[in-house]
Parts: sequence; C-alpha cells; structure tokens
Amino acid sequence: MKHSKMQLSAETMNLGFVKKVELLSGSSVRRCFQCGKCSAGCPMRSFMEHPPNRVVRLLQLGQYERVLAGRSIWYCASCETCSTRCPNKVDLAAIMDALRKLSWDAQGPSKESYVQLANRLFIENIRTYGRQYEMRLAAVFNVKSGQFLKDLMLGPKLITRGKLRMFHQKNRNIGEIEKIFSRIEEMRKNGEAP
Amino acid sequence: MKNILNYSYYPGCSLHASAQEYEASTRGLFKALKIGLHEVPDWFCCGATPAHNVDELLSLALCAKNLSLAENVAGDLAVACAACFSRLKTTQHRLIDNDAKRQQVEKAIDGPVPLGKKVKHLLEILARDYGLERLQSAVQKPLAGLKVACYYGCLLTRPPEVPELDDCEAPTIMEEVLKATGAEPVSWSHRMECCGANFTLSRPGVVLKLSGDILASAKAAGADCIMVACPLCHGNLDIRQGGIEQASGTRFDLPVFYITQLLALACGVSTERLGLESMIVSPMPLLREKSLL
Repeated sequence: MKHSKMQLSAETMNLGFVKKVELLSGSSVRRCFQCGKCSAGCPMRSFMEHPPNRVVRLLQLGQYERVLAGRSIWYCASCETCSTRCPNKVDLAAIMDALRKLSWDAQGPSKESYVQLANRLFIENIRTYGRQYEMRLAAVFNVKSGQFLKDLMLGPKLITRGKLRMFHQKNRNIGEIEKIFSRIEEMRKNGEAP
Repeated sequence: MKNILNYSYYPGCSLHASAQEYEASTRGLFKALKIGLHEVPDWFCCGATPAHNVDELLSLALCAKNLSLAENVAGDLAVACAACFSRLKTTQHRLIDNDAKRQQVEKAIDGPVPLGKKVKHLLEILARDYGLERLQSAVQKPLAGLKVACYYGCLLTRPPEVPELDDCEAPTIMEEVLKATGAEPVSWSHRMECCGANFTLSRPGVVLKLSGDILASAKAAGADCIMVACPLCHGNLDIRQGGIEQASGTRFDLPVFYITQLLALACGVSTERLGLESMIVSPMPLLREKSLL
C-alpha cells in the first residue's frame, strides 16, 4: 500500500472526510503547508510508515483510507511535540485522536490497533472500579493479546515492592461513574454528541 | 502548627499504587514545609492518555467530574502526576471558549464544570507559591555532589497553552527547584523527549528504544541519577531499566527519583518516609556513596 500508485482527481479529493476530522479534532487539516516540523520532532517517526506530515498530506488529497488502514495513527504517543511546534497551529495530536476514533468506528480492532485494546481495557477499569486497577489491566491485556508470559519476571518484583496491588482501590462514588458512561451513550444514541 | 499554604489535592491512581513512593514523599515533604494537602474525597481516574485516544467526550467528562468534586475542597488543586495535571488543564482549556462542547460535558456529568478552579502541578507550588528562597532555607541536608538529570517528559510543558508551567522548549523549573537542594543539575540532550508513555503495556519494544535513549543520554552527561515528576515516566525509566539494559547490553545503574523524594531527603524528612525501598533500581549504594543517608 505504501508504494502503490496514487490516482488523484477532483472526485478523490472530496473534502467530506477532512471536514469530519476537523470537526472532531477542533483543528484545521487544510492549513498544513508541509514544512515537516512535526515529523522532524516526532519521537515515534521510526515506527510509522507515514510520518506525521504525510498523514496530513494524505488526508488533504482524499487518501484517508491509506491512513486509517495503516500503522501510523496507532504508533502516535500523544507526546504533543507536533502540536507544540506547528507554525500553522495544526493540532496534529488532536487529529490523531480523531483518526483513531474514526478508524476504530469504521473497521473495529485490527493487528495495528493493538494499543487500542489496552486503551479499551483501561476505560473498562474506570467504568467498573472508578480508578485504575493495574493488576487487572496487565493480566487481562496479556490474556486477550495472547502474550501470556509477557513481563512475567517483573510481576513478583513489583508485588514485593508494593507497586502492584492485588486488590482495586475503593470508591464510594462509584455509582456516579456509571451514570456518566450511560449518559454519554444516551447522548450518542440521540445524536446529541459525536 | 499552622500551615503556610493550603491546597485541595488530586493524587491520581498511580500515587495510590505503583507510584506509592511519590505519594509518601509528597506527604512527607509538604508536612515538613507546612503546606496543607487536603485530598478530594472519592476522586475518579482522570482517563489519562487512553481516554482521549478512545473518546474525547468521555475524557473531558471524567476530568470535569473530578474538577467538580474538587470544588468542595478549598484551595487551588494540587496535582502530582504530569498526566492528570495535563488532562485536567486540557479540559478547562478546551471548554472555556467552546460552548457547544461545554454543554455536552455538562449534560454528561449533570452539573456545571468549574472552569475557574486553579490546577497546579507540585513543581509550580514549590517553585512559585512556596518560593525558591524559602525552599532553600528549609534545606537541612544539602545534596552536595549529587549530579542529577532533570527529566521533564512531555506533558509538563506541552502543548504550551495548556500547562502554562514553563517554556515549552527550554524549561528551567525542575533545575531551579533541584538547585535549591544543593544538588547539581547536569546539562543533557533528552530531558524533553518522550519515554514511550503508555506503550509500556501494549508495545514494550517502543519503550525499550525511547527510554533506552534517555538513559544513555543521562549517563553520557555524567548524571548519578534521574529526577522525574510523572509516574509513567518513572515506570518506564525505573521498572523497565533492567529490560533495557538486557536488550542493549549497556549497564546504566541510574536510580530514578521523584522530585519530592530528593527534596524531602534534603529537607530532613526521615528516609523511611521516602519510599526508597519501592524503587526497582536501588538508590541505596548511591546515597551511601554520597553520604546522604
């Protein structure tokens, strides 16, 4: 896909997707003039097939399918270096968030979106316990991702030093959290929230 | 004894678990300095990076709920974790001039969002509110001869309009606070590079590379240890240091301290309250060598 030929025409360059990303992220996509400062400072550049500035260029050219199916959006660390340095105030870190959401909504989990599995479990923990429960997060991730032995040697070290707790933190407000999650689901059902 | 300053306090999930030494040393230091910390009752997880990666509205709603719980406790809101700090301030920043988004969040939490509650990182409280001079005079045991690499990571300074803590490319606040203890900050290249953040769970290979570069840079600059202000950076540099050494074949042996551990040590807080035994890379040989125990 990386080297496949790109056919550009007035039809392929429709702005519908760009506008969707702009609405979700609150950042302009069209303002980018390809100076490349984002990619120059990106610590994750070497893990991506399209560096950040090319992600934006592909969006501008209507080639969003390449971006959504690719690896780049899942290797962004949200370090905010790109958004900090952009001379045109393109908030690339926010655009990456929007692209991850659109990719997940459109095609669900994939091998590339591995990180999203960890993210989803993290959110699940909040909904169930109100706070993070690191032991469960690591255990469930290893089981769901099929890496049963990952970091096995670290576990006992962390437990004896009190860094990994067997039980979750208590929270008397826990009912409130469920209400927030349900209200957001309700709002989305009624088309009141993106 | 009356406190000089008082704050409401949001510790965040890590400080009650994997970063317990950050919590213990923060409590010890603030007590010694007579700064009151009043924990917000029954706070929730702020959502950190995973929440905004998945769902922006949820991320804003979680932080808004925490801000509204914090409204019930007097004083500016003190935050220890760089990620919690960044998310709480991002929420205020995003909602302050976006009525449509603010209304969505208010509906989600069924109440107003306190956009005026001032959110401050511990560094800001120590350097600005308490003040460097006062901090310097509170030091009982100067950390003379200790060479420290101050590591900012990402979210204490980026993007600049959110944390408003210091310059986004050349900050000095950590070095200034450190200098008050008599320790010596080293000049090094990687103090603002990303450590690999929450890839530690899903793609540890990323952390081995990025945190490995950070450790190598600190070592090359002649640092004895690293000082951080974020539990996730700490986890990557301390907990993963053994794995990085194994993968790269380089021995670093760099203890990673939280800002409050070094400050509390200098301010004469009992070493039992610093959580030194929780650190994976033991700081004991170094502290003994420098006669700081």
